[in-house]
Amino acid sequence: MTAPDLGGAPTAISVDSALSCVDIHKSFGGAKAVNGATFSVPKGSITALIGPNGAGKTTVVNILSGSLSSDSGRVMMGDTDITALPSYQRARLGLIRTFQLSRELGGLTVFENLMVAAKVQPGESLMNVYLRPGLVRQAEKESRERAASILEQYGLYDLRDNWARELSGGQKRLLEISRAVMAEPSLLLLDEPMAGVNPALIDRIGGHIHELKAAGVTVLMVEHNLGVVEKICDHVIVLAEGRTLATGLMSELRENTDVVRAYLGGVLDGRVDR
Amino acid sequence: MSELFLAIGFGLVVASVLALSAVGLSLQFGITNYINFAFGDFMAIGAYTSWTLNTGPLHVNIWVAMLIGGLLVGVMAVLLNRFLLAPFARRFQKLFYILIVTFGLSLVLLNLVSSIWGDEVQRYNISNQAPQHIGPFLFTVDQLVVIGIAIVAMLAIHFMLTRTRIGKSMRAMSDNSTLAMTSGINTGFITTLTWFLSGLLAGIGGTVLGITQASITPGSGETFLFVIFAAVIVGGVGSIYGAMVGAVIVGLATEVAALFIDPSYKLDIAFAILILALLFRPSGLFSRPGKA
Amino acid sequence: MSPLVYYLFTLAFFVFAYCILGWGLNLQFGHGGILNFAYIGFVAIGAYVTGALSLGKPSGGQSYIFGFSLPFPVGLILGGLAACVFALLVSVLTFRRLRTDYLAMVLISLSLVLYDFINNFVPLFGGADGLTNVPEPFADALGLDTNTFVPFFAGVSLLVALLMWWVMSRITNSPFGRTLRASRDDDEATAALGKNVFKFRLISMLIGSFYAGVGGGLIVEFAGAFNTSAWLPGETFLIFAAVIVGGVGNNKGMILGALIVPVLFTQLPKFIPDIPGHPGLILNIAAMAIGVLLMLVLWFRPQGVIPEKKRLSKLPPLSERHRSTGAISAQLTTEETL
Repeated sequence: MTAPDLGGAPTAISVDSALSCVDIHKSFGGAKAVNGATFSVPKGSITALIGPNGAGKTTVVNILSGSLSSDSGRVMMGDTDITALPSYQRARLGLIRTFQLSRELGGLTVFENLMVAAKVQPGESLMNVYLRPGLVRQAEKESRERAASILEQYGLYDLRDNWARELSGGQKRLLEISRAVMAEPSLLLLDEPMAGVNPALIDRIGGHIHELKAAGVTVLMVEHNLGVVEKICDHVIVLAEGRTLATGLMSELRENTDVVRAYLGGVLDGRVDR
Repeated sequence: MSELFLAIGFGLVVASVLALSAVGLSLQFGITNYINFAFGDFMAIGAYTSWTLNTGPLHVNIWVAMLIGGLLVGVMAVLLNRFLLAPFARRFQKLFYILIVTFGLSLVLLNLVSSIWGDEVQRYNISNQAPQHIGPFLFTVDQLVVIGIAIVAMLAIHFMLTRTRIGKSMRAMSDNSTLAMTSGINTGFITTLTWFLSGLLAGIGGTVLGITQASITPGSGETFLFVIFAAVIVGGVGSIYGAMVGAVIVGLATEVAALFIDPSYKLDIAFAILILALLFRPSGLFSRPGKA
Repeated sequence: MSPLVYYLFTLAFFVFAYCILGWGLNLQFGHGGILNFAYIGFVAIGAYVTGALSLGKPSGGQSYIFGFSLPFPVGLILGGLAACVFALLVSVLTFRRLRTDYLAMVLISLSLVLYDFINNFVPLFGGADGLTNVPEPFADALGLDTNTFVPFFAGVSLLVALLMWWVMSRITNSPFGRTLRASRDDDEATAALGKNVFKFRLISMLIGSFYAGVGGGLIVEFAGAFNTSAWLPGETFLIFAAVIVGGVGNNKGMILGALIVPVLFTQLPKFIPDIPGHPGLILNIAAMAIGVLLMLVLWFRPQGVIPEKKRLSKLPPLSERHRSTGAISAQLTTEETL
């Protein structure tokens, strides 16, 4: 099934795709979680992935990031087919994700959580640790500076030497996003970054997402709150029962009565069928 | 040819002992989702309890002693879970804490057994029986009883899991414990019952192991535990029917292989099967999502 | 030399040897989260290979492979490498897809089979009799007798331990160690940051096994003999207990763990006379005490007696940072917003 075309992409969005998937299928046991999802994420956009519970959003994110392998279908990053790559290799290409439930590295400090994420790490090779300590020190020094400014930007600087496991829920969410930023993403997958956080923090995270866009990062985020989607996203992908129901701008989708009736209505009224 | 049938016959006996123990281990794994590394010592406690009853002043019949030993281990398993394992599992999210606790428990129980009963090899007081011809096979009466016990126990577990409310609740919990909890199943009761059944089967398994091997030592349960692991991994960890099938495969394979190689390498055969299973079917013959 | 001093040097040796064993397991388990329930098997491989390489050609009914009369420390290093090779085989087979407890099951089975195999297969390392009369390093060259060898070799082991501590602390303080600990805390999240978790775990498994092998090699060179009674699978638990008591992920705490658990609970009781009529009861009670001690430590001090030390960022306070960079702070205090 192909997504209905809802008109041309607005000029603000480049037609180049940063990430796309074609005909993704995935079942667990007998249950089909994803059933032919096909869409692309325009380069430089903030794209929302929406749909009711059970639509397969998180499964799609897991397949895009490589945490889960699909039964069939392809995942492309730009022109590169990344279907066969494990998650760590996708991350090295700049595809970084966050998780629905914050996955802080609890036995590390907040600062170390960011340091781990640094992209260039000669000190991860023991050969360098013993034979080229100067190189390791230099890379660490650069990462420290970067980590310090990201921590400051995300309001975590004063917590830098706390164990990550000691943070509050909201702080863990900020840590997760700032750690992803530390990894120098070109494409960021955020799985419900606003779930379970207070309204002040929602605005703050929204602000950070705009900063990322300004810095040239493409963002794909799973989000339930349509108010948030309208506020910060410029592109929307609607997923239903594992298929792409529609793609386009939020305003365009609202005008598509089929989508509203069949789908968005249910989401907006909070009538979730599963 | 007759040697082959002899080996197959004894393989069936080993498979029966394995099936009892492997199903006991799997039942508990399905509910609590961690491996009990002290299971081999549960078996040893069952074996020695029935040994004391059987050879002590009471001279209890071996099969009655086996049942009493099993019941005792069942109660012990419930208590250990209630006061030691469950609190640890609740408190620590990380799997390795609880695994280390069961590993430590195995050390404590092993040494407890050898302080109480000593390290000498013991035997049950069973009269020597002439083997009977059954078709091409050759069995002693005791071996036939062991096979019978295993068949009855497997059928009973099958009927419990498929026909009774309790069994269905067990399967539901094993598939998804949060869902089971919200759907009104008394998970506390089911957990306790599962530990009891697991202990009961361990205790019975320990005694029949002592009967079929004609010796009991404090460490025989621990050594056998890893043959159980082989059966469980071949069948698929957490799958009850997988454990039964795995028991038959491993039991037959080790005994038949002993025809061709030095029997003292039987354990290595079981391990080779385990490795082959890991290489070619890492989630087991009856794999279950989320359990491997 | 008085027997007491002799004992003390013997105990000191075991502290050093167990420190090395503990550091190796700590890298695998404390930093890498690998539940290596077969650890003692790697120690045994190191001990057997070191012993068989240091011994001359088998004679007098003995049988074992090698017999190259290699001098110290060549046999020791090769013993460590042998444990490494074994670890490589095991890891490649099991690491990629196995859950923690699956892996622990396979590893514990492996140690039992290894035990059984070495016990039965006499031509390899002498079967149940094991290796005896392993030459005492430097004893001939320096003219040491039994009394002087013990303090001498305790000193040698101290040097080896110091060297291995230095090597280990470089590893655990490096970015490698940091990423390894990240994979211990959450392997999926670490992979999502671009880390090949398998590679990090494999390397920690190999280095940890090298430590196991060297520790085992030192023990065989000190004791002069090694057989299957020295490495019952329960011994693995002892080293786990030492690591946990000393503090998971903490190299210094390991010294305390090596003092308390293996020395206090297993070496010392060997010197306590048996209770008449109950041979081995003291050792049984000591083993039970270790099990109980470990559970108590896990419950009351899950981070160990000496917890993993925080690796501080050593970044200046925010105010100073801004004084130096001159940036304007639009910083909201985190406590207010969250």
